[in-house]
Amino acid sequence: MEFSELIRTGQAQAELLRGPEMPPLRGTLCVTGHHLLLSPGPQATPDLWLLLLRSVDSIEKRVAGDAGTITLRCKDLRVLQLDIEGVEATLDIARSIEALSSLESVITSFPFFYRPKGLRLGESWHFHPPERYYKRVARETRAWRLSEANEDFSLCPSYPRAVIVPRTVDDDALARSARFRQGGRFPVLSYYHAPSGTVLLRSSQPLTGPQKRRCAEDEELLQAVLAGARPGARGFIVDTRSAQAAKQARMTGGGTEAKSAYPGWKRLHRPLERGRPLQESFVHLVEACGDLEQSMDRWLSRLDGCHWLSHVKAALSTACLAAQGMEWEGACILVHGAEGTDSTLLVTSLAQLILDPLSRTMAGFQELIEREWIQAGHPFQLRCAHSAFSHTRPKHEAPIFLLFLDCVWQLGRQFPLSLEFGEGMLLALFDHSYASPFGTFLCNSEKERCLCEVRTRTHSLWSGLNQPKEQRKLRNPLYAPNPLAIWPSVEPQSLRLWQGLFLRWTHPPEPSEVAWEKVWQIATDQEKTEGSQPTDSASEPQP
Amino acid sequence: MFFGPSKLYEFWLPRAAGSVTQHGSSRQPIFAFLNEEKFDVDGWMVYNPVEEYRRQGLPNHHWRITFINKCYELCDTYPALLVVPYRASDDDLRRVATFRSRNRIPVLSWIHPENKTVIVRCSQPLVGMSGKRNKDDEKYLDVIRETNRQINKLTIYDARPNVNAVANKATGGGYESDDAYHNAELFFLDIHNIHVMRESLKKVKDIVYPNVEESHWLSSLESTHWLEHIKLVLTGAIQVADRVSSGKSSVVVHCSDGWDRTAQLTSLAMLMLDSYYRSIEGFEILVQKEWISFGHKFASRIGHGDKNHADADRSPIFLQFIDCVWQMSKQFPTAFEFNERFLIVILDHLYSCRFGTFLYNCESAREKQKVTERTVSLWSLINSNKDKFKNPFYTKEINRVLYPVASMRHLELWVNYYIRWNPRIKQQQPNPVEQRYMELLALRDEYIKRLEELQLANSPKLSDPSTSPSSPSQMVPHVQTHF
Repeated sequence: MEFSELIRTGQAQAELLRGPEMPPLRGTLCVTGHHLLLSPGPQATPDLWLLLLRSVDSIEKRVAGDAGTITLRCKDLRVLQLDIEGVEATLDIARSIEALSSLESVITSFPFFYRPKGLRLGESWHFHPPERYYKRVARETRAWRLSEANEDFSLCPSYPRAVIVPRTVDDDALARSARFRQGGRFPVLSYYHAPSGTVLLRSSQPLTGPQKRRCAEDEELLQAVLAGARPGARGFIVDTRSAQAAKQARMTGGGTEAKSAYPGWKRLHRPLERGRPLQESFVHLVEACGDLEQSMDRWLSRLDGCHWLSHVKAALSTACLAAQGMEWEGACILVHGAEGTDSTLLVTSLAQLILDPLSRTMAGFQELIEREWIQAGHPFQLRCAHSAFSHTRPKHEAPIFLLFLDCVWQLGRQFPLSLEFGEGMLLALFDHSYASPFGTFLCNSEKERCLCEVRTRTHSLWSGLNQPKEQRKLRNPLYAPNPLAIWPSVEPQSLRLWQGLFLRWTHPPEPSEVAWEKVWQIATDQEKTEGSQPTDSASEPQP
Repeated sequence: MFFGPSKLYEFWLPRAAGSVTQHGSSRQPIFAFLNEEKFDVDGWMVYNPVEEYRRQGLPNHHWRITFINKCYELCDTYPALLVVPYRASDDDLRRVATFRSRNRIPVLSWIHPENKTVIVRCSQPLVGMSGKRNKDDEKYLDVIRETNRQINKLTIYDARPNVNAVANKATGGGYESDDAYHNAELFFLDIHNIHVMRESLKKVKDIVYPNVEESHWLSSLESTHWLEHIKLVLTGAIQVADRVSSGKSSVVVHCSDGWDRTAQLTSLAMLMLDSYYRSIEGFEILVQKEWISFGHKFASRIGHGDKNHADADRSPIFLQFIDCVWQMSKQFPTAFEFNERFLIVILDHLYSCRFGTFLYNCESAREKQKVTERTVSLWSLINSNKDKFKNPFYTKEINRVLYPVASMRHLELWVNYYIRWNPRIKQQQPNPVEQRYMELLALRDEYIKRLEELQLANSPKLSDPSTSPSSPSQMVPHVQTHF
């Protein structure tokens, strides 16, 4: 097997330090194709310690005398230290980890080898098909249809095979609209808001260019959206770039919708940070959180200086704007920035969480991520290639999905009963989006996943998470379905640093774990007593 | 323009409770004396010093209860009942009193149930510029140290910053020098004085009222230094608690007069060490004991009924203590029997004058005004409505010492208190989590009750018919529903 060429040494004696809260582990260290193993001696607990090499973000080695130290900084923000006997062994192990953790080939990655007990391949992949969401929409309205114009990914390589479009627009018109949008991402339905009969759409920027080109089919498509909603309906185009940036995009062939070309649609600019600046904000924040020596009286201004919470605020406010447009103004909303694969998805998915009680259930949230992030073509492989510790120059990395999870966490903090999933679910999604034994977050689009046969050759994260034994970690025991929209406060004092993520490995988790156990205990006690109750309870007055 | 301290608090006062009538200048009595509310429980009965000391296992071989201050002659700002070393005579106490600011001699606040180390509180020694010494005071502290045989050093925590302690020599105060107190080691805890705290809170007010400072919120918050002061107070209390809990040594705590920072440190350390004080009644006793009976100058610090808002005596020291308690309750969600509302209600009535609890500066003044006869206690309101103030996650743990993380990373601004009147903050009233839990607990209790009734009804054979109907209270445990 080709991995063997990259593994320089079989094994070495080592001691592993896992931070202040955990006891050190001593044993035999071993590098395999996908894992770093530490096997404690026979007298110790028989448990193997296992680290997926893919989750190593940066590696640092130091040798002194006849021993060495390797510091591994992981994508889940953990910092591990390995003290290894022997200089040669240290260098060999470091080189092996370096080579194996940066392998780019998808089909040799661990998900293609991971075969857990109790799960069958291909099981949960059709758990959240777009067809099912379309059926939900079709039940309520006759203005939309499921188009398979992208069956072979020729219209748009980053869209799934089937998308939901206005009934009155045919596949040829879609093809022309696709040619007028960057990356072929023509406007498609993202969410149908039944109470107001309005819709949320997403796309990429129109390719107007310096000559301010137009595309009749694209204009008709948006016209058909308004007509399908209700006579005289209005629309808002939420551009996630500043007016200035949108204008500048024309020079490189992009642009934004001209007012005269799209009557009934009004453009709003809500600049959101993305790409390099967002990645830098993330790196600075993680640096600040890991810097335990730093004089603590400067902590708050340093946190301020990272701007992470202002990105959270901007994302939530823009999502609120889109949601308000639908629920309060009865308007249709189209969201796009430039490529329509990053901040666009952030806004559309958050707006749905605010408005749609179904998306706040465990199944609904998984469906939302599958539909609005994975199938909608968020380039996970590029964005999550490295986390905050990597020394390599960031190319396409950006923590857009993490920003989404953080916003969801803020929602959960402000509405502690309204989400069926808890912080554990959000942490799991963060961990798996950066490195995972499951195939769900592999590749950049549906097209690539088809080429790599991800669906047939790897396990889905959803089947992993939906096993009963995982539920206690992931669910919110306090959940009580809330049929209303949840409007978050975006005032600065309402937003908090997500300590559970950013300080996960530095803070003793014990008191909060005790509290969590207690909550579960109360919740299950209640279920049990309800379950064991004879059926006559209905006739008795409730307390 | 300039906001005086009372003005500063006004916007945090619920309007309904703000019915303070002028006192002194306009010669109208404080509202608490006119208030004729009736409650099921008498809150004045909550604190009985003899019972509280007995709970701590006092008196014992080394510590005795003295009534030397019965008529407040030894120290007019101390309570009538004090716990002092068994080996110190009343005459010794009188001589020590001459060397301590305001005669606030070192007395016991708390004793560790197992290792028998103690927390002792007092005021600064009157060392002065000339570096005076007092043999009786030195001997007295040594007697305190000797109540524990195995300990060779007594730890003295001076709450002040070192420079302040030195500066106090100019006005006759000072601190215990190494030369004079051989068997003691002194540490300064760097907590600033009442004026610094007042100005810090004023800055907090400025960034949240009338509008919340939007841009650079965190930097503005940092520039108030409020959380930094909270951190220092908590850090000091943790050190006190750690010394005592580890049995390393007994601890003497003082600041200048021993009624502001000292009260914060001893009460917070006791809260960390003794789980009893984390119950609703225990906390009331803690406040009653360490703050009210030991002469925290509530009247001067709050300025009840006083027109002079800008008085230099005003300071939010007690509020700062409650903020520290709130920070602890955030970090240990299951450790406290009370909830956030309990703390907020205490603070509301700190300013409201509806109850007599926080009136006057010390026990002697309260006795003179017959406060317990003529006013209602805040604890009457709370204890007759306890369910409203209970934390549903509370898990009683007897011997657990709580060490909160006093790092800026883990301290938060208490938004629900300081910014609660801001109309732009959406408040979910009442706290939905607690609301839901109260419902769940009530449901559970109800179901358990019904289950037991059914079991009782279905199994007549198992129980002796002659005993079961006669003692239903023994068969069905007391069930408490929350509605």
